[in-house]
Amino acid sequence: MNDAKFDRVSVSDLTFSYAKHLVLNGVSFTAYEGEVLAVLGPNGVGKSTLFHCLLGFHNREFGGEITICGESVRRTSPSVLATRVAFIPQSHAPTFNYTVRDMVLMGTTAQVGGLSAPGAAQIEIAERAIERAGVAHLAERGYTQISGGERQLTLVARAMAQQAKILVMDEPTANLDFGNQLRVMTRIKELTADGYTVILSTHSPDLAKHFATRILAISNGKVAALGAPADVLDDELICSLYGLTPEDLLLVK
Amino acid sequence: MKKTHYSSIVVGLGVLLCLAFVVSVTLGRFPITLRQLLNALFFARSEVSDQLKAILFNVRLPRILLSCMVGCSLSAAGASYQGVFQNPMAAPDILGASSGAATGAALAILLELPGQMVMLFAFVFSLGTIALVMLVSRFARGEKLLGIILAGIMISSLTGAVTSYIKLVADPNNILPEITYWLMGSLAKTMPRDVIFAAVPMAIGLIPLVFLRWRINLLTLSDNEARTMGVNVGAVRFTVIVCATLITAASVSVSGLIGWVGLVVPHLLRRLVGNNYRHLLPASMIGGALFLLIVDDISRNLLITEIPIGILTSVVGAPFFLWLITRKKEVA
Repeated sequence: MNDAKFDRVSVSDLTFSYAKHLVLNGVSFTAYEGEVLAVLGPNGVGKSTLFHCLLGFHNREFGGEITICGESVRRTSPSVLATRVAFIPQSHAPTFNYTVRDMVLMGTTAQVGGLSAPGAAQIEIAERAIERAGVAHLAERGYTQISGGERQLTLVARAMAQQAKILVMDEPTANLDFGNQLRVMTRIKELTADGYTVILSTHSPDLAKHFATRILAISNGKVAALGAPADVLDDELICSLYGLTPEDLLLVK
Repeated sequence: MKKTHYSSIVVGLGVLLCLAFVVSVTLGRFPITLRQLLNALFFARSEVSDQLKAILFNVRLPRILLSCMVGCSLSAAGASYQGVFQNPMAAPDILGASSGAATGAALAILLELPGQMVMLFAFVFSLGTIALVMLVSRFARGEKLLGIILAGIMISSLTGAVTSYIKLVADPNNILPEITYWLMGSLAKTMPRDVIFAAVPMAIGLIPLVFLRWRINLLTLSDNEARTMGVNVGAVRFTVIVCATLITAASVSVSGLIGWVGLVVPHLLRRLVGNNYRHLLPASMIGGALFLLIVDDISRNLLITEIPIGILTSVVGAPFFLWLITRKKEVA
């Protein structure tokens, strides 16, 4: 169904191992313009490793090929990759407290030369991103003093200021309350209408079902399922992914 | 609106520094009036006595200039190390630049080399120590930053042991007191050539730091985050460490061990202008110069016999540090 759309991220036969432990073993998928691809899998299955490969942290270690915007990630420098892919980590507490505005402005760093700081144009870009992510009222507040949900939205604003059309998010809703999970996911979903491609990992099949365009389930280093939530996300997949029995699932139904 | 506010603090510090500079010139056992100063510098050089000129140009101005330069450098180095190591408690001696310099100076004094060689030894040993730290840390496994810091702690404790041994074998009548006095840190023996000796490496180190200061912000986040925002983390971090080390080595080699400036001043200024290095670095540079200038004024004017400046900065620095660790956690 997405064939007409531009494929942004293409992963083929990705393998990766830590020491002798094989984490990813022949993972292949494609992420298209305007979709949310949710990566599901148990703890330690290699979701973060997969993301780190996409972000170019393991260029010398991984096997297979990763192409982003038509160019091999191995041949893309960090400063060019930053204009294509933005990374949104789990909400965190950095050592030094920056204002939300400064934090978002950091996203524009790749747009200016190595020895200069963001100028008026970048400040304008950051202001618009702050506005769109809905954190304008927090702009002068310290990043370490706002709530987890507000931090996550600040990081979304930072990714928008980075002006990369691919967003990679490592469990964006971890540690957030139910309301904030929905607010963050709604904001992310809205971005896809502007042509963003979002690849995120989550431990919540429910969130994936409601917000993802497609689901990529990983189990034992291989792709266990790939497709629209309605097609692939059933009890059988959840049981096999998380090592549960159908009786276990009944407890939460 | 907030930005102009911070910029005006930086400008205000600059104005204060200029005022303090002029006042400092007039202070001293041989008082110099403002009129004499202006005459000597610009208007009527012939009306000023040779004695006054000699004091002004050979003793007082070099010392005042050097105290500003050392304060500026130590404070800039401290702020930079704090960012690079993501650690608000980092100071210019975190990797052993100071203890390396101490070993070099002690060795030169032991060999009864002239003052200039003591300076050169201190400078070279300081840089050598950090080169060794960076080399060793390349082989450290695991977390990169932790590797550098641990290598720094180990190697500075080694150089500390060497310094102790030199003190042990030094002649206790003339050599040992000289080593001890050097270690206390002092600007008392400043000569015009010291200013030139220090100015070159300080300029080489400070200029890249000023240009890279925005990127230091990104280094305070995790390496992965900074990298995904397009920063070449390894290269920027290496450059900042090299520059901060260069200015620390230049400072320590002309002034001896002056502690606390690099920790106290950036911290005070974080509270005034925030953590953004766009403002923090220039503010630290000016604030550090101002701080050490004032402390040195006290050092040379308070008592008949001069108090080594390293002792005074500790007297100011230690209470501040205690306040820092006991205050309530708010903006930091």
